[in-house]
Amino acid sequence: MPKVTVDGLEIEVPDGATVLQACELAGKEIPRFCYHERLSIAGNCRMCLVEVKPGPPKPQASCALPATDGQEIRTDTEMVKTAREGVMEFLLINHPLDCPICDQGGECDLQDQSMYYGRGATRYRMNKRAVTEKYMGPLIKTIMTRCIHCTRCVRFSEEIAGVDEIGAVGRGEDMQITTYLEQAAEHELSANVIDLCPVGALTSRPYAFEARPWELKKTLSIDVSDAVGANITLYSKGREVMRALPRINDAVNEEWLSDKGRYQVDGLMRRRLDKVYMRRDGKLQAAGWDEAFTAIAEAVAGDKGSIAAIAGDLVDCETMFAAKALLRACGSNLLEGRQTGMAYDVSNLAAVNFNSSFAGIEEADAILIVGSHVRWEAPLVNVRLRKAAKRGAKIFIVGPAWDTTYPAEFIGTDLAILNELPSHIAETFEKAERPAVIVGGAGLKNAHGKALALAAGWGAAFNVLHMSASRMGGLMLGYAQKGGIADIAEAKPKVLLSLGADETDYASFADSLKVYVGHHGDAGAHAADIILPAASYAEKDGTYVNTEGRVQFAEKAVFAPGDAREDWTILRALADALGVEVGFDSFGELQSAMIAEVPALGEEGLADYGALPEADKNTRAEGEISAYPVRDFYLTNPIARASEVMQRCSSELLHAGELQEAAE
Amino acid sequence: MSILGKIFTWWNGATIGTSLFTSRRGEKVGTDAQGNTYYRSKNKRDLNTAGSYSGGERRWVIYEGANDASRVPPEWHGWLHGAFDDVPESNLPPARIWEADYTPNATGTPNAYRPQGALEMGGKRARTTGDYEAWTPE
Ligand code: SF4
Ligand code: FES
Repeated sequence: MPKVTVDGLEIEVPDGATVLQACELAGKEIPRFCYHERLSIAGNCRMCLVEVKPGPPKPQASCALPATDGQEIRTDTEMVKTAREGVMEFLLINHPLDCPICDQGGECDLQDQSMYYGRGATRYRMNKRAVTEKYMGPLIKTIMTRCIHCTRCVRFSEEIAGVDEIGAVGRGEDMQITTYLEQAAEHELSANVIDLCPVGALTSRPYAFEARPWELKKTLSIDVSDAVGANITLYSKGREVMRALPRINDAVNEEWLSDKGRYQVDGLMRRRLDKVYMRRDGKLQAAGWDEAFTAIAEAVAGDKGSIAAIAGDLVDCETMFAAKALLRACGSNLLEGRQTGMAYDVSNLAAVNFNSSFAGIEEADAILIVGSHVRWEAPLVNVRLRKAAKRGAKIFIVGPAWDTTYPAEFIGTDLAILNELPSHIAETFEKAERPAVIVGGAGLKNAHGKALALAAGWGAAFNVLHMSASRMGGLMLGYAQKGGIADIAEAKPKVLLSLGADETDYASFADSLKVYVGHHGDAGAHAADIILPAASYAEKDGTYVNTEGRVQFAEKAVFAPGDAREDWTILRALADALGVEVGFDSFGELQSAMIAEVPALGEEGLADYGALPEADKNTRAEGEISAYPVRDFYLTNPIARASEVMQRCSSELLHAGELQEAAE
Repeated sequence: MSILGKIFTWWNGATIGTSLFTSRRGEKVGTDAQGNTYYRSKNKRDLNTAGSYSGGERRWVIYEGANDASRVPPEWHGWLHGAFDDVPESNLPPARIWEADYTPNATGTPNAYRPQGALEMGGKRARTTGDYEAWTPE
């Protein structure tokens, strides 16, 4: 470990550290634009200049200079100060002074650093450079005159997202950042370049001119658009969520967020359920809470146990537990969360969990993916897979081909191939030191057992990649019947509580009174007999468990609109109407009851599901994967479907070709 | 106006005391387009002592109808406040053709301006933060 001196302070730095990292370890702040911890080093902004001895007698870019033993680094000399001022002055020569109309204002690296390290006034008297506008799609708004050519966006697209979408043309002053032929950036993580851009060259199009960062309330939350459970901050103004930005959590989302998680929030303002509806004469009509509760009580009168609950994809554990407590008090155990009718075995939760953990899958050296369109089902896991591939992992995929962002081999859509793997694949896995198997939604039905057996045979980590934020929490709370949702339909419940379930086929519940407790008018609301307006993920506190079994807590950012109430209060009031006792009167009591029952939900972090079950060597996989469950990445949940931005993304990025064909 | 009317609708025109004072000490100077009548004190000894620094002559108005100070048009407002000595007709240039007729302040009356979003105007306002679109079954 090299020893270096930073401003007279001697410290030891890890091998391979750069001078910039050494300075940070010593507690010195080094201004920078192009350097980013998660991207490769470009060294082209020159803002990080420091004085280093031994070496040439000129300031050096610390981000690209390895720290070596005996270096004497100075960050506080006159030379460093003038060097920084000089670099800043050059940057500002061609940067427009339009902070008052720039959306980056208040969270702009250039603004901040020019305050700290810049000269007080300009000496520039000539014309400034102007750059023509570029089009980067429905999410990214560009004002390219502001670009300072740090190339962070280029490096992100190449290195993290794995698509060569953004690039630079020209050199020096004439360099311009653009997408290829000015097409929209269309991968699922494209909007992360907005966060990365240190200036206002790339800003958020849907959020353009909506708010200033300092007027927004920040609430820590969890993304529910997929099962990754990315850590986000909701920025709200009044009772509207203005935007969602990722929070740093190296174990989950690192620093990124999928475009859906980021931009579905405008859906929170549309198609909202804000009053109670009841079906009268075949039509849904506005009603009062009391009427609705009475109707439900009448429906189950005499046979309280005839009540079932289906949990949707976005609900939190507290809601599911409140419904469970209600059903239990009524004497029913008809709970199900796998809306689409899946019925995989859940007797051992480790067998339906992503056991490698997201960070762990990066280390795998051979990965078999069975029936998962990872890029759409969990874009942030795809980033991890790409990292693994870069480290040399061999990746094989069973299922219809999709555009991977790394080298991978598609070995057909027939699951039977798992019974008789081609020799080169079998060999790869036998030789691999840290193999892993990932089973996705399309593979769970027919290949779950076989995949378990394969993993056991190779000593591979076994992973299931779910798609809905409530899945693991639901399974922990017992939202699973042996035969899946078919069991519930068979029980013919008089009342069916639907906790925001919009993917369920309600036709099989024709005789039940369907009570929809949810927040968006989607399929579930249309099928319902009674609608009780509830809160979305931004409008309630809640616990979520992601697909790797990580328990995370989200906070309430805004209030639910109109008459809508937090879900648990609705279920608590319903308990009174049904004349049963659920044992909690406040959210705190509800949570402690839940934690008493499932202790793992009380501790943030990975839940322990124990060992994998004994695999049955003789199971065989059969069947064909004709399609993946996610048909349209941008429209997978009721919030996203209500969101204008997501609709635009879907039509412009995914169905643009179809539109053109139709026009021709 | 009947004496009873005078007593009970004190908000129209002058009170009895003011009328008496006006008829004894006031000299009528003119009326404006709305019919408000303007007076000044007849005698020099009635110099305005109440609240005036200049000690100039005392001037007042008796409204035709509601006692609303905003009903005094600008030219008479100037005269009332001693901005010029002579009555407006002889003192100010004639009104231009493009000058609009003077209207009193309509605040608090049914004629008051109401923006598009006001309930009286149908309540249709531009979208603002926090507005949401509710779902309806149709
Ligand atoms: S657009 Fe932003 S992130 Fe990309 S090179 Fe320019 S300043 Fe850097
Ligand atoms: S941060 Fe070192 S050159 Fe940009």
